[in-house]
Amino acid sequence: MALRQTRPARRRLLPIDRKGSGPNLRRELFTQLVLRDIRSRFVGSASGWVWLFLTPLLLLAVYGLVFGVIFSARVPAGLEVPFIAWLAVALWPWLAFSEGTVRGAQAIRQHANLISKVSLPRHLLVASSTSAVFVLHLLGYALVLFVLWAVMGVPLQAGGILSLLFALASLYLFALGLGLGLGALQVYLRDLEQFVPTFFLFWFFMTPILYPADMLPAFMSRWMAINPMSNWMELIRSALLEGQMLPGLIDALVMLASAAAALVIGGWLFMRLAPYFEDFL
Amino acid sequence: MSEVLLRLDAVGKRFPPTFRASQRLGALWQILRSGTSGSGTVVLDDISFEVRRGESVAVIGANGAGKSTLLKVITGVLAPSGGKLQQQGSRAALLELGAGFDPEYSGMENLRMNATFLGLSQRQVDERLDDILSFADIGQSIHEPVKHYSSGMVVRLGFAVVASVRPDLLITDEVLAVGDESFQKKCIRWIEQYLDQGGTLLMVSHNMYQVQKLCRQALWLEQGQARQYGDVFDVTQAYLAWHERQDARDAASGSGHAHPELYGVSALSLARTGSADGGEPRLAMGEELVIELKLRSPDGRAPVALVGLVRADGTPVYGVASDHDGIEPAVADGLFVFRLRFPELALLPGGYVVRGHAMDPEGLRVHDTAEVTFTVTGRSRELGLVRLAHRWETP
Repeated sequence: MALRQTRPARRRLLPIDRKGSGPNLRRELFTQLVLRDIRSRFVGSASGWVWLFLTPLLLLAVYGLVFGVIFSARVPAGLEVPFIAWLAVALWPWLAFSEGTVRGAQAIRQHANLISKVSLPRHLLVASSTSAVFVLHLLGYALVLFVLWAVMGVPLQAGGILSLLFALASLYLFALGLGLGLGALQVYLRDLEQFVPTFFLFWFFMTPILYPADMLPAFMSRWMAINPMSNWMELIRSALLEGQMLPGLIDALVMLASAAAALVIGGWLFMRLAPYFEDFL
Repeated sequence: MSEVLLRLDAVGKRFPPTFRASQRLGALWQILRSGTSGSGTVVLDDISFEVRRGESVAVIGANGAGKSTLLKVITGVLAPSGGKLQQQGSRAALLELGAGFDPEYSGMENLRMNATFLGLSQRQVDERLDDILSFADIGQSIHEPVKHYSSGMVVRLGFAVVASVRPDLLITDEVLAVGDESFQKKCIRWIEQYLDQGGTLLMVSHNMYQVQKLCRQALWLEQGQARQYGDVFDVTQAYLAWHERQDARDAASGSGHAHPELYGVSALSLARTGSADGGEPRLAMGEELVIELKLRSPDGRAPVALVGLVRADGTPVYGVASDHDGIEPAVADGLFVFRLRFPELALLPGGYVVRGHAMDPEGLRVHDTAEVTFTVTGRSRELGLVRLAHRWETP
């Protein structure tokens, strides 16, 4: 970064500022934290930002090879898309959700040094970690969708854009709430640090992402009913592959309720526990 | 009176036990249920004071007295376990060398991030970048990762960022001790200028010279409690005197005296000295000190009295014996009474000890010793032990 030019006739000492930490400053801080988080993924790697585009494409290729070629997996009847497209459409939102939540939950412990030395609104650390993951994965998602559409000729439905945006926005809030709650608890209960990523792996396989929901045996369909992620995955698929304009009422309610519950409970836990983080870090 | 920027009202801090998982679980439950953490080690107890705009307050105390914890509570890094904390206006804190720096990033990136933590927008950072860089004065290293910095460079950059914020209340925790001489001077000049322009300072320091130079009030913490709060000279002198006494106590060994049953000290007292809190005697610098020594003798011969003044850490200042001056004691109730008067005591402010010794009539051996400690108060930045008569002249 180049040094700025000196402006003429400026006093060495600026007048004392009178300002509080208003919403503007918090937004500024949030933006900086997100940018720093994103930069930290690429800092020191030789080709830097290239990985931002390379990683999703490599991942797409791997999944295509394993499931499309080796397992010869098939999409549910009635859909005219390759399996890899069917998978990718749901996989990236899941990646954003699970990684966003896990990273958000780790943010407090990860920034322990900062928390014990600098006074700042601590929820921003969780929010910025989760947000950085969403930004990166949604960029990757956009790239993957573009490749599917432009290179592979998959007929993605532009009409489903509203449903998709609704699903992604509510998914982000859901991840944020979970990240806040788990992040706060994790300071006190170190075991969660081991448990949360494992749980998300379990959750991944228990959600119809790699397989369609109707492949599940009957006794497991009750689980599907209480797993809100299956609502998200199905809405996203029908939005992009079938052009569903608006989410169904039940789906919308399940998603909004899940996100709201996560935000309220996670936010409450965080607010309650945050003042004492330093004692336990 | 100017407005109050910071008010602490019976603030306390306990650290809950966090070693075992069950303790953490208990604490978690306690906080969730009641919103406060429960019992634990007391690190701060019942601290009350206020800082008004334009004041400068030093927090002093031995290691582990709770100074850093107090600053952390004030800055909001730690939540107090009890009491009330009110503040207004902006504040910026430098709690540690390189606090908030990420070693992987370059100095410039850390500068921007840290400025954001302190509440500057990127536009404001751009405006002040030249000031910050010239204050930090670390040249092209600003583009190097901070992990390659020396501790001096880290503190330079950290202080430069804080200085650029110019908060209403500046809080620093023993950070200036790291920089080299010239940077320390630069910081002190900056702080003086900041205070002149109406800034407010709360600092922790072990350097009493710095404290007396920069601060007008001081708070002395001892084991988490406020031992003394008031004028910086009074508090630092009492604190130093206490330290010197601690040192002396540590150094003191059971130095045996020959035959205290022969020639002994029956009483040693200081006359006409005020003692502020019923504690040890105090007198202002330049006041009169009167020492009265009563000695006993087994054979009716008058013993020789030796009186010494030593600083509280044991450094001798002055000693004189009655036989040097050819003095004969008065006799009262079978005791030999000596009275020694220092009309204008030239000792500089600090803690001192009067030692009274009983010697045999030949003045050859010390048989017994008694001690009385006292404090000389005053506002003086002179160095050393005594004020020597002097005069400045313009050649």
